[in-house]
Amino acid sequence: MRLMSRTKSYLRKPFAALAIAFFLAGPAMAQDWFKTGTGLGITKARVAVPDTVARSTFTQPLPKTFHDVLWSDLDYSGILDLVSPSFYPLQAPGQPSELNAQAWAAAPANAYMVAYGNMTTDGPNIAFSGYLSDVHNPASPPAIQKIYRGVATDSDARRLAHQFADDIIAFLSGGQPGIAQTKIAYVSGRSGNKEIWTMDYDGANQQQVTHLKSIALTPRWSPDASRIAFTCYVPYRGVTSAQICIYSSVSNRLIAFPRYRGTNSSPAWSPDGSQIAFMSSQNGDPEIYVADANGAKLHRITFAAGVSTSPTWNPKTGKQMVFVSDRGGSPVLYLSDTDGSNVQQLAVPDMGYVIDPTWSPNGQLLAFSWRRPSGNYDIYVMDIVSRQLVELTKDEARNERPSWAPDGRHLVFESTRTGTRQIWSMLADGSQPHQLTFQGENESPNWSTK
Amino acid sequence: MVATATIRPDENLKRFFYASLIFHGALAVVVAVSTYFSHGGESWGSPGGSVTVGLVGSVPAIPLPQPEVVSPNRVVDESKGLFKSEPQPKPKVEPESTPIPKFERNKPPKYISRPSKVLENPAPAPPNAIPYGGGGTPTVPVTSFALGTTGATAAGLIAGGASGGDFASRFGAYVTAVQQRISREWLESTVDPSLMYAPRVRVTFDILRNGSVANIQLIQSSNNRSLDNSAIRAVQSSNPLLPLPAAYSGSYVNVEFYFDYKR
Repeated sequence: MRLMSRTKSYLRKPFAALAIAFFLAGPAMAQDWFKTGTGLGITKARVAVPDTVARSTFTQPLPKTFHDVLWSDLDYSGILDLVSPSFYPLQAPGQPSELNAQAWAAAPANAYMVAYGNMTTDGPNIAFSGYLSDVHNPASPPAIQKIYRGVATDSDARRLAHQFADDIIAFLSGGQPGIAQTKIAYVSGRSGNKEIWTMDYDGANQQQVTHLKSIALTPRWSPDASRIAFTCYVPYRGVTSAQICIYSSVSNRLIAFPRYRGTNSSPAWSPDGSQIAFMSSQNGDPEIYVADANGAKLHRITFAAGVSTSPTWNPKTGKQMVFVSDRGGSPVLYLSDTDGSNVQQLAVPDMGYVIDPTWSPNGQLLAFSWRRPSGNYDIYVMDIVSRQLVELTKDEARNERPSWAPDGRHLVFESTRTGTRQIWSMLADGSQPHQLTFQGENESPNWSTK
Repeated sequence: MVATATIRPDENLKRFFYASLIFHGALAVVVAVSTYFSHGGESWGSPGGSVTVGLVGSVPAIPLPQPEVVSPNRVVDESKGLFKSEPQPKPKVEPESTPIPKFERNKPPKYISRPSKVLENPAPAPPNAIPYGGGGTPTVPVTSFALGTTGATAAGLIAGGASGGDFASRFGAYVTAVQQRISREWLESTVDPSLMYAPRVRVTFDILRNGSVANIQLIQSSNNRSLDNSAIRAVQSSNPLLPLPAAYSGSYVNVEFYFDYKR
C-alpha cells in the first residue's frame, strides 16, 4: 500500500506509470475471489446419505448403526434437507472413485452433496473413511475426506457417526460447530431419589452422575463442560437445607463450594466460568447472589422485597442477567446488569407466571416457560431487543424449563405430554420434537455448552 | 475716654434703659396675671368640660398615610451589591486631526514557483485506493463461470447464483457454505419494519486462511441505514467462517456478497 503512494509521484511520467500499472495489476488479478449473495429465505442444501459400505465382515451391525446415527444427526440438524433413500441410485459409493456424480445430481435424487464412506474392521477396532462430495462439481476434491477410528463397539460406532455428522454440519453451515457430540444433564428419579443424570444429545448413553441419595435439582454445565453445578440437599450436622453443589466430570466427584445459611438454589455460571450466580435466603429474603466459582467474593445483586431467583447470564457479553422475581406481584422476568443496576421488567402482553429464563448462546433470544391465565405452561422465545414473542409449544400439557443447545438451533425441555414428565428436545422454531427419556420421571434438562 | 470719644455727647442711653425696664416689668406682670386667670378655675383635665371628637377622616385637610403600593419599578439601591455596575465609558476624545497615512509602495506579489508541491496530498493513499490506470472494468471476463462444469445447474440450491473466478468453480461447496452461513446470520428483525423493498446491498470482505473475516466494506448502499447495518452485521457475526479448503493454496479469498431485501 505504501508502494502505491510512492508510485503517485512518478505518475507524471507515462512510461513509468504504465509499467507500475502492469506491476500492480498482475498480483491483483491473481488473487482469487468469488461473488455470491442472498435474499430472505434460502433453500436448505439437499444432502444424500447412502448406506455405509462395509469392506470387512462385521459380527455386529456396526455399519448400519453408524448410518442410522449419521442419518438422524443430519436430519435433526435443522440446516439440511435429506434426500429420501428411495430416490438413490442403486450402487452406494464407498470412496470417491465409486461415486457416479451425475446420477446423484440428476433427478430424482437432485442431491447437492453426498455423504458416504466405507467401514473396515480388524476385529477389535473399526475405521470409517468418510467423504462429503459436491456432485455438481465432480472435478473438485471432496469437501471432507477423513478417517475416523474407534473400537468395535456400538457406542463407539455412534461416537464416530456423531463426529462425522459434526464435520458435515460444520462445513455446510459455514463454520458453526454441530451439536452431535454434546450432552444433556437432567434430573431423574428412576433410581429412587432425584439424582443428576447425563445422556447424549439424542437420548442415548444415559448415565447416573450423582449418588447423594437425597434430592438434586437444576443442573447447570459450566462453560467448559467440565463441571455441573446443581442444587443439592445434603444433611450437615443434622440440618438438611438446599445448597449449591458442584460436580466435576473430570474427577467424578463433588468439589468444594461453601454452605450458606437458609435456602440456596438455582445456580448459573457466568460465560467465562469464573462466577456463579444463585438464589440465597441467607439474609432472610430470597435474593440473587454472585460468588466466584470457589465461593469467594460473595456479594448480593438484587435488593427488592419478594423472591428473586433463576438467574441466567447473557452468554455473549456476560454483562447482563435475566432473573425471575415476584416483586411486582406474580413472577415475571427482569433484566439487569450483572452488578444489579438498571433493573427493568421484561413485560409480556398477558398475565400469568413467567419463569425458567434461559439465554440463547448468541445473546439475542430468551427462552422461558409461561403459564398464561388461559392455559398451561408453554415454551416461548423472546427477541430481547424487539421484545417480540414466539410460542413454541401449544396445547400439549405442561412444557417447562427450556435450555438452549450451543448451536442456538435446538432447545431441550421437560414435558408431560405423554402423561409422565419426560425430557424432550426440538428445533428452536418448535418443529421436530424428539422424546429423549422414557423411564421414570425426568425433569430440569440442561444442554452442555460444548 | 477713648470709647466715649466715639459716642456723641448728646446721645444718652439712660432713656432707652428705663424704657426697656418698664416694658419687661409690664410683660412680667401680664404673664403673672394671665397665668393666674387661665388656671384659676378647675384644674386641667377634670371632668365637666365637653370634648367633641370628630372623625379624622372627615377632615380632608389632614393627609392620611397612604397604603403601600407595590410598584413594578425597581428601587434603586445605593448600597454596594454583589454586582458591579458597568463603569461609564470614557468619553471619546476626538482627535483634532489625524496624521495623513504615508503612501506605501505597492510591492509586486511573489510568484509561487512550484504549484504542484502545494497541491499534492501528503497523506498516504488508503489501502483501497485504485492505482493510476487501475480503475474501470477489469479486463478479465467475470460473468461466464458456471458452478458445474458438466452442465448441471444448481437446481435452486444457490439462491442468488454464485459467480467468480477459478475459486468458485473449484470450491463451489465452500462458496455455498459461506452463503448459507451469512444468510442464516442475516436477521430480518434488525431491518426497518416499514421497508418493503430496497436496492441491492453489496459488501466485500476477505476470508483468511483460518476462516476469519477481514476488511469488511460496504461498497453499495441500499440508501437505508438499517438494512446496510444488518448486512454488515451478518458478515461480522459470521466470523469466523469455515477455514479455506485445504486444496486451496492462496492465503486469502476476496468475497463480494450481495443482499437482496424484499419483504
